[in-house]
Amino acid sequence: MDVSRRGFFKLSGLTIAALAAGLGFDPAVAEAKGYALKLEGTKKIPSICHFCSGGCGMLLYVKEGKLIHLEGDPDHPTNEGTLCPKAASLLSVANSPDRVTKPRRRAPGADKWEDISWEEALDIVAKKTKEVRDASWKAADQIVNAKTGLPESLTVNRVEGIAFLGSAEVDNEESYLIKKFCQLIGTPYNEHQARI
Amino acid sequence: MSPSFGRGAMTNSWSDLKNAEVFLIAGSNCAENHPIAMKWINRAKENGAKIIVVDPRFTRTASKADIFAQIRPGTDIAYLGAIINYIIEQKLYDQKYVLNYTNALLKVSTDYKLEAGLFSGYDAKTRKYGTASWGYQLGPDKKPLKAESIEDPDSVFSKLKAHYSRYTFDTAEKISGIPAEKIKEIADVFCKGKPASILYALGMTQHTTGVQGIRAYAIIQLLLGNIGKAGGGINALRGEPNVQGSTDMANLVSNLPGYLPHPINTDKTLRDYLVRNGSFFEKHIVAQLKAWFGENATKDNDYGFSYLPKTNPAVNATMVKLFEMMNKEQFKILFNVGSNSLVSIPDRQLVRSALTKLDMLVVSDLFEIETAQFWREPGVNPADIKTEVIMFPAAFVYEKAGSMSNSSRWIQWKDAALEPLGESLPDLDMLDHLFKKIRKLYAGSTDVKDAPILKARWDYGEHTSALKVLQELSGYDETTGKLLPTIGDYLKAPIGTASTGCWIYAGVTGNGNLAARRNNADPSGLGLFKDWSFAWPGNVRILYNRASCDELGQPVDAKRKLIWWDAAARVWAGNDGGDLVDKTKGPDTPEGKLSFRMNPEGVGRLFAATYMSGLPAEAPADGLPAIGIRPAGICVDGPLPEFYEPTESPTTNILHPEVSISPCALVVSTKIGKSDQFPHVLTTYGVVEHFCAGGITRNIPWLNEIMPEPFAEISKNLAAKIKVVEGDMVEVSSARGKITVRALVTDRLQSYKVNGKDTETIGMPWSWGFASLSPGPSTNEITIAALDPGAGTPEYKVCLVDIRRAN
Repeated sequence: MDVSRRGFFKLSGLTIAALAAGLGFDPAVAEAKGYALKLEGTKKIPSICHFCSGGCGMLLYVKEGKLIHLEGDPDHPTNEGTLCPKAASLLSVANSPDRVTKPRRRAPGADKWEDISWEEALDIVAKKTKEVRDASWKAADQIVNAKTGLPESLTVNRVEGIAFLGSAEVDNEESYLIKKFCQLIGTPYNEHQARI
Repeated sequence: MSPSFGRGAMTNSWSDLKNAEVFLIAGSNCAENHPIAMKWINRAKENGAKIIVVDPRFTRTASKADIFAQIRPGTDIAYLGAIINYIIEQKLYDQKYVLNYTNALLKVSTDYKLEAGLFSGYDAKTRKYGTASWGYQLGPDKKPLKAESIEDPDSVFSKLKAHYSRYTFDTAEKISGIPAEKIKEIADVFCKGKPASILYALGMTQHTTGVQGIRAYAIIQLLLGNIGKAGGGINALRGEPNVQGSTDMANLVSNLPGYLPHPINTDKTLRDYLVRNGSFFEKHIVAQLKAWFGENATKDNDYGFSYLPKTNPAVNATMVKLFEMMNKEQFKILFNVGSNSLVSIPDRQLVRSALTKLDMLVVSDLFEIETAQFWREPGVNPADIKTEVIMFPAAFVYEKAGSMSNSSRWIQWKDAALEPLGESLPDLDMLDHLFKKIRKLYAGSTDVKDAPILKARWDYGEHTSALKVLQELSGYDETTGKLLPTIGDYLKAPIGTASTGCWIYAGVTGNGNLAARRNNADPSGLGLFKDWSFAWPGNVRILYNRASCDELGQPVDAKRKLIWWDAAARVWAGNDGGDLVDKTKGPDTPEGKLSFRMNPEGVGRLFAATYMSGLPAEAPADGLPAIGIRPAGICVDGPLPEFYEPTESPTTNILHPEVSISPCALVVSTKIGKSDQFPHVLTTYGVVEHFCAGGITRNIPWLNEIMPEPFAEISKNLAAKIKVVEGDMVEVSSARGKITVRALVTDRLQSYKVNGKDTETIGMPWSWGFASLSPGPSTNEITIAALDPGAGTPEYKVCLVDIRRAN
């Protein structure tokens, strides 16, 4: 017998209904109704899991801008609708009250954060980046030429005072812009967790 | 893998695992850490495949195994060497494959040798090798000399045979703790299954000999002819959702995107760069410079090569070493995106100290991770810490459009499903805004140092568009401004007329956004799914698949046909895209024979020789150094894997006691323990409920409920010895620190003998830190920072500890 996933649910629902027939209510109908209400009016958007490197497909159910349910994408060839416990828990990240939602600054020596605006935060970081870049600019490495034994000055156009860690947790486009950003401001010191 | 095959990526795919006849899963507990792998492994098992698991613990993966062997952490090369020896002695190798698709016949330099644990070329002062003697004997045409037979004493094969003749099953048992008969059983079962797949993860890489362990896998799989085939390969199960992509994009000090070597200080010009790295890279680096500097990159200005910073090759700035440099006050700003080093870096006191030396720490993350609030870790006085911290609220993965590349190299696109929470923004927007602000600060400057910022091409729209960035990666015809349709079009374009930010992604958006494709048809039934998203390179699903065919270009496995030469149509056809230089070059042409086209020899490398292909027989008439085509990938610690004890080891290397540990290992930790004081081996691992440094998962209530705290897993023998029962608190200490956690007394770890001595392994998960909804002690308080000399990967999997009942 070829039982599709949805068919299987129906089947098990019917079995429960049959068993419950003598109880005066129909839990299968109640259950189906709850399910329908929860997903009613949602938009189903395919996406990808954000934990290991499996790249499992997910279906996100979004209503009024809120993620109300997610499940494995049955059409995805890698996971065929299944999800591990971590993947299934991603729902709670989208709606977590513990997320940081505003830029923050911790002043030197302070024991707490203060909220600041994006504009302020970006200005502070941009200004500091310029200051450190200008101060730690290294135009040339002085080396001893291995062949001639003579000192040599090699142009390197490198910033020594800025490092950037990141990231295997962001999208390709972001990871690429991190690299491009680093190279354009002149720091080669860009590493991330793939190394460890 | 790159020094063996030419690319550092998982060779096959998740769904291909179902095609295997036998698995060696060693260095991966995929049932917990990559659950999706198990789905496909179980499917193969239902079809009769055998599963071999080698691990320090009887893991959830091991519970599915036909053969399980408990190994002392860090001794894989000993038992793998014994298997290589057995394959050679018993002639279990695939003769045709070895002759045609590996460098077995090439003659090694007569200067090459291994003596008392040291390869030729070692410099004790720098603890580094000069690699000249690891080359081939070259003919007058500068090509490697080929032996008549593998018996030739100079051949790679003979060197391999001599090298591993020392690795008997008995020797391997003494070192690894796996009984000799069990190693033989593993060898017999593994060699019998065709195709055979090897799976590994951090259990293999997190050692000072991590790269060499994977090299041992490569040697076994090349000897058995398992690379390039459906159901075969070496499957590196990568850790994070986009670690394949972030490696492709080179968030690494040694590379530019697409695995281009990073320019170094002696590369004064593009030509110098090509002398060092080969002409193969010319097209790709010029295309990248065009992507970054547009019309400001011209032939006349060396395509803006001088705009790129050059590294000093004498400085190792890999991740852990960066913190060492930071601790010496080199860096004033650290940008920290999607990374929680205060929990994840071994011997983490270094991180705690290094962060205080910064003027500014810039963090972008979803939650307030430990690294962001290092200044208020318990026991730290915030007033003493002068580092200014800016934290940007990052948008969650479903709040932004973009692509991620999974372990199968599938570049998968997703649309934004939600608005970013509160004021959070994607890192893409943050970087875009920040760069534009910095550029404004430099406006009008004529200083040569500011040219890269002012002359850069940087236009991703008013509302930063991820698609525009992906299109930059995919590539443009710079003469028309139109997207290049395919990677073939990119490769055909004359140098300087095409741009791509990352050449291996060329074509991904050339004919619409192929990363967003959702056709899950699989007509071959081999799990290739070639119309689902897009796999680099050129939508090839199984890397090196030319090696799945014989000399005539016909599949050797009739049940698992990937590609074949269609003699009538004079083209390579197939179920998969061909991993070929040119689809129209048949098996009778030099190009059509190349099984491992990314290697300079065109074949798989049993012996990782130094070699540059394409050097002219005569020195160029203009007196300038000659430019070759492509250099070989080198392992800095030797051309063949040799067993070395971990940096902290309970015993001495019985192969060469004078050179017990890796002679090249980079030891960053300053406190090293001895086995008289710290008699047990600690190995760290992950659990399914938590992810890496726990920055996300420790903020998810239901995961915290099922896995609430870290623990130390110990054998019943050890528990009896230190008089604890399950649930008691124990103090685990190393030379670097101590932490107190609950004891988990288990059958999953057993006492074992090493060189005749009873030994215990202790296992600890490491995902905890002082912050989040579920704080707990960080295991990296006690681990050792000792690094693989090539990869920079720390030896998380082995250090020495003591354990006692707490309170």
